[in-house]
Amino acid sequence: MRDNVRGGALTEVTFFILLALYERMHGYGIMQFVEEKTGGRLILGAGSLYGALNNLQGKGWIAPVDDGKGRKKEYIITDIGREIAEAELLRMKELVEIAEQIIGGKGV
Amino acid sequence: MKKCYRFFGGFLNSQEKWLNQMANKGYRLVRTGKLSYEFTECKPGEYQYCIDFVAGQPYKNVKDYKGFLEELGYKVFYKNANLNYSIGKARWRPYGKGSGQIAVNPGNYNKELLIVEKKNDGRSFELHTTNEDKASYYKTLRNAFLIIAVLFLIFSIISYFQMQSFSKGVIIFGLLGIPFLIPAFLYQNQIIHFSKKSSIEE
Repeated sequence: MRDNVRGGALTEVTFFILLALYERMHGYGIMQFVEEKTGGRLILGAGSLYGALNNLQGKGWIAPVDDGKGRKKEYIITDIGREIAEAELLRMKELVEIAEQIIGGKGV
Repeated sequence: MKKCYRFFGGFLNSQEKWLNQMANKGYRLVRTGKLSYEFTECKPGEYQYCIDFVAGQPYKNVKDYKGFLEELGYKVFYKNANLNYSIGKARWRPYGKGSGQIAVNPGNYNKELLIVEKKNDGRSFELHTTNEDKASYYKTLRNAFLIIAVLFLIFSIISYFQMQSFSKGVIIFGLLGIPFLIPAFLYQNQIIHFSKKSSIEE
């Protein structure tokens, strides 16, 4: 993962996982979330998802819920994760604004 | 029940293709052996297969990953990538990370690969989907084969210096290294392809 905390752009997959985990979800739920929200444009493979979840957990952006008891492991976004996601939203808004100025952004 | 004998070695794509061909003919994998695959009959095209290379990771991680895949509703088989019939032995994997460098039996020994089965839902089945992840996955694979090839070449060179001539040892070690260089070369091409891609798009 190339993401870094100070102002680096998140990858699309990272951002989608963070968004999905505003509600607690297990792996399958995240895969479905990404596929539904993008209309099937972005499909997340299990191996890539597994790696991403471990990385994000390592960074403390997401955390497992109800560790141990539940059969399926669920995750939820942490406070740091929310901060990161909000910062990313701002960055993207800025980018969209610039792009609109240049491209002419009619009907957006 | 149908039993087939095959050995694919480092050519994971060929193995994956073959398993998917079998599934399309109506055979579902039920058991894997060192060289054998056992199938039961199913509807043609009912299942899809994907192979993941997990050698070099600590066994704990492999088990955790396997559990994750099973939670998603996939069926997972262990498979060996190399041939070794010895029991109760440890193997050094120079390409491994941390405790993944040591493979022991029972444990992660002869469990270099995961064969993952998914019920066909009409979508393509891939485990590694992002360009970055694909590049790093192929890098692990390339390193695994490259290091073995390099070790054989080093043995070959050492025997050359010992004998000061092209003895049998030099030639045998040299020849043994070549089969490992081929997959390493193929995976290198994949790394270049996906690294380039990942620098432009995700």
